[in-house]
Amino acid sequence: MLLRLAGGRVYDPAHGVNGEIRDLYVRDGRIVAAPGPDERVDQSYDLTGRVVMAGAIDMHTHIGGGKLNIARAMLPEDHRSDPRARSPLTRGSCGHAAPGTFATGYRYAEMGYTACFEPAILPVNARQAHLEMGDTPMVDKGGYVMLGSDDFLLRLMASGAEQRLINDYVAWTLHATRCIGIKVVNPGGISAFKFNQRRFELDEKHGFYGVTPRDILRVLSRAVHELGVPHPLHVHSSNLGLPGNADTTLGTIQAAEGLPIHLTHIQFHSYGTEGARKFSSAAARIAEAINATPNASCDVGQILFGQTVTASGDSMTQHRNSGLASPKKFVVMDIECDAGCGVLPFKYRDTNFVNALQWAIGLEVFLLVTDPWRVFLTTDHPNGAPFTTYPHLIRLLMDRTFRNERLGLVNADARALSTLASIDREYSLYEIAILTRAAPARILGITDLGHLGTGATADITVYRDEPDRERMFSTPEYVFKDGELIVRNGAVVKVTWGRYHTVEPAYDRGIERRLKEHFDRYQTIRAASLQISRDEMAAFGHGAEVRTHPCRRGTP
Amino acid sequence: MSALRLTLISRPPARVDLSPLTAQPLAGRSAAEIAALPLVLGNRRVRLDELFRVTGTPGEALEIAGSDDRLDRIGAGLAGGSIVVEGDAGAYLGQRMTGGSITVSGHAGAFAATGMKGGEIRVAGNAGDFLAAAIPGDHQGMQGGLVLVGGNAGDRAGDRMRRGALLVTGSAGDYCASRMVAGTIAVGGRVGRSTGMAMRRGTVLLLTPPAGLPPTFNACGRFPLTMLALLARAWRGLPGPFGALPAAGLTVRRFMGDLANDGKGEVLVRE
Repeated sequence: MLLRLAGGRVYDPAHGVNGEIRDLYVRDGRIVAAPGPDERVDQSYDLTGRVVMAGAIDMHTHIGGGKLNIARAMLPEDHRSDPRARSPLTRGSCGHAAPGTFATGYRYAEMGYTACFEPAILPVNARQAHLEMGDTPMVDKGGYVMLGSDDFLLRLMASGAEQRLINDYVAWTLHATRCIGIKVVNPGGISAFKFNQRRFELDEKHGFYGVTPRDILRVLSRAVHELGVPHPLHVHSSNLGLPGNADTTLGTIQAAEGLPIHLTHIQFHSYGTEGARKFSSAAARIAEAINATPNASCDVGQILFGQTVTASGDSMTQHRNSGLASPKKFVVMDIECDAGCGVLPFKYRDTNFVNALQWAIGLEVFLLVTDPWRVFLTTDHPNGAPFTTYPHLIRLLMDRTFRNERLGLVNADARALSTLASIDREYSLYEIAILTRAAPARILGITDLGHLGTGATADITVYRDEPDRERMFSTPEYVFKDGELIVRNGAVVKVTWGRYHTVEPAYDRGIERRLKEHFDRYQTIRAASLQISRDEMAAFGHGAEVRTHPCRRGTP
Repeated sequence: MSALRLTLISRPPARVDLSPLTAQPLAGRSAAEIAALPLVLGNRRVRLDELFRVTGTPGEALEIAGSDDRLDRIGAGLAGGSIVVEGDAGAYLGQRMTGGSITVSGHAGAFAATGMKGGEIRVAGNAGDFLAAAIPGDHQGMQGGLVLVGGNAGDRAGDRMRRGALLVTGSAGDYCASRMVAGTIAVGGRVGRSTGMAMRRGTVLLLTPPAGLPPTFNACGRFPLTMLALLARAWRGLPGPFGALPAAGLTVRRFMGDLANDGKGEVLVRE
C-alpha cells in the first residue's frame, strides 16, 4: 500500500527542509522515496496549504510509575472533574493534571504527539511503570531510570570503586529496567534527606557516604558516555526551586567536565537572589552558559497558570514545599530504601509574585538560548503544567504580541523584574519543529523518529496553517502513526499501541555477584526479580515492539 | 407564568443523572430543546423526553413530578431559582449548589447537599447517608446554606461540614458531625454512635439526650447560652421543632470536643 501526502508545506529540520512544498510517500509504515511513474498510488491526501511535520516527541513527561499513581490516588477531584467519555473506539478515562493512561495516550495523539518519554523510573518501580506505559495507547514510549541516590552506587563510590564497576552497574540497571537513559535527581540528595540533611549543596558531603553531588554527576556522566548510551546524563540539579540556585546549576554544568549533560526543567533552576524579595530571574546567565557550552542541553519545564500536581523523586524539595500544597495534602515517602518521592498538588497563580516570575523565567530561557537543538519544549508534565497546555506554550513562543498581552496580566512586581517584554524573538515553525521533533529524536539517539527523510518511521502530523498557533497545534488535521491515520481533526480514529525504545549497552556480568549480595542483604526484592526480560516487556504493551537502539562506546 | 414541569413517565430501568438540567440556565430555551436534552441513563445516553413528559415554560422554576429514587443529581450546582420534587430524589441532591431552593416531598438518597455552598434544601421525608458531608477526596462537606430534613438522616450526616445549618427533625445515624470543621447541626431525635468523632469546631444541638458521646468529649456544665436565642430567631417559622424553639430560657448541657482534635467543637444537649 502506497500512500501519498501531496502538496503540504514540509518542515523537516533534520534535513534542513524549511517550509518547502513537497510530496511525501509512505509504504509499510515508513517514508519512502518518490516512486517511479509506473507505480500506483493507493491513497492520496491533498495537503495544499497545510503544515507537515514529523510526529512530535515529548522527551520529558511523567506519564507512568509509582509517583503518578500516588498523584492519581490523591486527587479524586482531578479525575471526577475531567471525565473523558468512552466512544465506540476509545475507552473512558479521566484526569486533568494526573490523567489515566488512556486519556494520556489519546490526548497526546490528538495534539500530534507520537512519542513520550517518562523521565523518572525507579529501578524497583520499573515493572509497574512499564505496565502503565504499556497501557498508554497511541504513542511510543521509553523511560529514563533513576540512579544517584541508591545505596549500591553510593557504597561503590564511598569505597573508591573504579569507574569500570560503576559503568557495569549503570549498564546492568539499563538492561534490568529496559530504559533508554539515566536520570539523576538531586544527586545524592534523596539519600541525604534520609540522613536528616535538608539542603544539599553541590560540594557538600553526604552525611553517611561522604560523597558529594559533584562526584555523583562526574561518575554518572562518565559512565553514560563510556557506555555509549546516546542520551546524555539527564540531570535534575540540586537545590530545585531555591532562590540563588542558578549558581548550583552553573556548577552542575561544570561537574560534567566537558561530557554531554542534559539539564532538565531548567526553569526551576534559574533563580537569582536580587530585588527586594530576594528572588529574581537568572535566565540570562543560565542561557549564556548553555549557549557557551556545546556539551550541555536543557528542557525548560515551563510553568503555566492553573491547577496541577507536582510529582517528583526529589523528596527533599517536596518536603520543603509541602506547606505550599493546594489543595492542602501531600505525600513524601521513601520507596523501598532505593530512593523517594514527593507528590503535592499545586496551583500556579498569575497574581502571585513567585509564580509569575517563574512563568517569565521559563519563557526567557526559551527565548535566550540561541540554539534550538539544545532547548526542548516541556512543562515537566505535570509539574509545571499538564501537557495539554503545549499549544498555548507554543503560541507564547511564536507570537510576541500575545506573549506581551499575557505578560501585562501577571503580577506587576514580577513583570517589573523580568526582561521578557524587551525580548523580540519569535519562534518560527521551523524552530518549533526542531524543539518538538528533530532535536528530541537526536538527543535520544533514535534515528528513525523526528524527521521525514527516506526510511523514517511514518509518524507524521499535519496542521492547518492558522494564525492562532494555539488553535493550530491543539487540533491537527491528520496524525499518522506508522503510516496509518490515527487522528483526524483532533479526534482519535484508530487506536494503536506504539512501541518501546530501549538501549542495551554491553557490560561485564561479574557485577551481578556483587548486586546479588547487596540485594539479598539490604533490598526488598532480589536482583534477579528486578530484571525485566524482553518477553515480559513485550507482554506489557499490547504486543508493542521493543526496539533497542545501538550504543557507541565512547573512549574510557 | 407556569413552571417547567417534567413528569416521569415510568420508573427508569437504571439510574439517571439529572445534572444537565442545572448545568446551564433553562430560561429562554424552547420546549423542543428541553425535550432533546441528552441525559445519561445507566451507561447510555437518552433524550429527556424518553423519560419525562414535558409541560410548562422553561424558567426559574422547575417541577419534577412522579419523581423516583433513581433520579440522581437533581439540582446539582444550582445557582438560583427553585426546584420542586414531587416524590423521592436519588443521590447527590443539590450537590455543590450555591443558591436557590430545592424541596422534596418524599425521601432523598445518599450524599444530598454534599459540598453545598448556599441556598436551601428541604426534604419532607428521610435523607440517606453522608447528608451535607464531603464526598471521598473532598476536603469539605457543606459550606453554606440551610438543609432541613423532616424525617431521619443516615450515617455521617455533616461529615467535614464547614459552614451553614443542617437541621434534622428526626434522628441521625452514626458518626453525625464527624470531622466537622465548623457550622451548625441540629438534631431533634436520637443520634447514633460516635457523634462528633474528630470534630474540630462547630456546634451540634441535640433536642433529645444522646445515649452517649465519645470519651474525648468533656462535660462543661449547664448554660443558658445567648447564642441559642439568636439561633431560635434565625430559624423561627421553619416547620418542625426548630422553628418553635423558645426565644429565651433555653438551657443546654455543653460538651466540648473532640479533644483528640483541638476540642473546640461543642455538643449542646437541651435540658
